[in-house]
Amino acid sequence: MAEKTVVKGFKIEPKQLRIYGLVGSVVGIYLAYILNSVTGTNIFSFVGALAALFGVVMGANAVRRVCAYGIGTGVPSIGMLSLGMGTVAVLFGLNIAEQLGVGLLGVILALVYSLIFGYVVGLIANRVMGFNIPIMEEGLTDLSGAGTLAILGWCFAISGSLAYADIVKDVFNTGFLAIIFICGGLAILHPFNANLGPDEKQDRTLVNGVMVGGMSTIATGICALMTLGLAAGMVQIVVGFAIWYYFYVWYFRLAKRDASAVVGTGLLPPSAL
Amino acid sequence: MTFDINTIIYILEIIVGGLLVGVGVHFVPVGGAPAAMAQATGIGTGTVQLAAGSGLTGLLSAGLMMSVTDNLWAILATGAVGAMIMIDATMLAGSWIYAYAVGAPFASAKVNYDPITGFSQPPYVAPGTVGQGIPTVCFVSGTIGAAMGGLGGAMIYYPLVQINGNPAMSAIFAIGIFFVDAVLASWNIQGTIEGFHDPKFKKWPNAFKSCLVATAILAVVAVLITPIGGV
Repeated sequence: MAEKTVVKGFKIEPKQLRIYGLVGSVVGIYLAYILNSVTGTNIFSFVGALAALFGVVMGANAVRRVCAYGIGTGVPSIGMLSLGMGTVAVLFGLNIAEQLGVGLLGVILALVYSLIFGYVVGLIANRVMGFNIPIMEEGLTDLSGAGTLAILGWCFAISGSLAYADIVKDVFNTGFLAIIFICGGLAILHPFNANLGPDEKQDRTLVNGVMVGGMSTIATGICALMTLGLAAGMVQIVVGFAIWYYFYVWYFRLAKRDASAVVGTGLLPPSAL
Repeated sequence: MTFDINTIIYILEIIVGGLLVGVGVHFVPVGGAPAAMAQATGIGTGTVQLAAGSGLTGLLSAGLMMSVTDNLWAILATGAVGAMIMIDATMLAGSWIYAYAVGAPFASAKVNYDPITGFSQPPYVAPGTVGQGIPTVCFVSGTIGAAMGGLGGAMIYYPLVQINGNPAMSAIFAIGIFFVDAVLASWNIQGTIEGFHDPKFKKWPNAFKSCLVATAILAVVAVLITPIGGV
C-alpha cells in the first residue's frame, strides 16, 4: 500500500458557503448573459452551467446539514423538493419579470420568491409536522434557492438567453427541463446520499457534488448541441468533461484519504490506486 | 393578466389538486428500503418515487385526453385511471416477486386481522420484521391513493393549461407542485406507511394543513403566469 499523501481538503462555514453560492451563481448567470450579448454569439452559454455549480454546492451543503438530523424518507426526497420549488420559482420569476418589462431581473425575482417559499416550507415542516430540526428553515431556504439557481444556470446553458420566450421554447417545450430536473437533482442530493455516515466530511461531499454537476453539464451540453448548435454544445461538453475529470480525481484522493486502508482487487493496475 | 371569477376557480382547482396529492400519498403502501428487503409491508421504494410515478402517469393520460376533449370530468377520470393502473401494475409485479422469488407470505404487522379479507395476520409476520409483501388491504388502499394522486395531478394540470395554453410548461409546473406536496406528505408519514389501516394514517390532517399552505402559495403564483412571446 502506498504511503498516504496529504490531499488538499477544505472546511467552509455554511454562512460563507451560502454567500459564495448565491453571489457566485447570480454573478455567473449575468456574466454569461453579458458575454453572450457583447460578443453576439452563444459560445459563452457554458458559463451559465458553471454558475449552476455554485448553486449546486450550496444545495449539497444544505442537504448534508438537514439530512444529518435524519428526515425518515431518505435523502432523494429533499433533492426532489428542492428542484420542484426551483421549477415553479424559475417559471414565475422569468414570466413576471417579462410582464413587468424588466426581463433581466427575472433571475433575482425567481431567487427571492424561492427563498421565501423555501422558508415557509421549512416553517411548515417544523411547526405543523413537528420535525424540530433547528436548521430546517435555514436549510430549506438554501435548498430552494439552490434548486432555482441550478435550474436557471442550466436553462441558460441550453437556451443561451435569459428571455422567457427563449427559455420556454428551448428548454420547456423541448422537454429538456426533465433532464435538468433529474441531473440537477442528482448533483444536489447524490453527494450526501453517497457519502453519508459517521465519517462524512464536508470537502468529500461537496467535491462529489461538483463532480456530478460536471456530468450534468455534459448532459446539458448534448442538449445544447440541438438548440445552440455544434460549437456552443461542444464547448459545454468539453468544459463539463474537464470539470468531471478534475473533481473525480480529487474525489478519488479524498476517498482514499478517509479510507482506513486501500487495497486493490486486481481489476485496476496498481498505479491507478 | 385579467383577474376574474375564473382566476379564483383556477386557484381553487390547483389547491384541491395539491390536497388530493398530499392526502393520497397516505393511502399508498410505501415500504421504503426495508420493504425492498421484504422486512416491511408495502412497495419497496420511497414515497416520492411512487407519488412521482403515479402522478406523472396520471398527468400523461390526462394530457392525452385533453388533446381530444375539453371535458373536465373525462380528463380527471383519465388521470385517476392512469395513475391507478400504474400503481396497481407496480404492486402486482412486486407481489409476484415477493411471493415467487423471495417466498415471503403477505402479512401486515399493524393490524391483527386484515380489515377486508378478515384473515389473521400475526402468525405470518416473520420474527424481527414488520410484515412482508402487499396484503389485500394494502393493495386496495394503494389503488385508492393512486386514484387520488392521479385526480390531483389532472386537477393541477387542467387549470394550468387553461391559463398559459402551453401543455409542456404546464406539465413541468404541475410536476413541481406535485413534488412539493408529495414530499411534504411523505415527511408527515416519516417515510413508511401501510395504508388507511395504519395508525400513522391518523396524522393526515398535518399533511392537509401543510399542503394547503404550500399549494396556496404556489397556486397564487401559477395563475399570474401568462402566455407571452408568441408561445
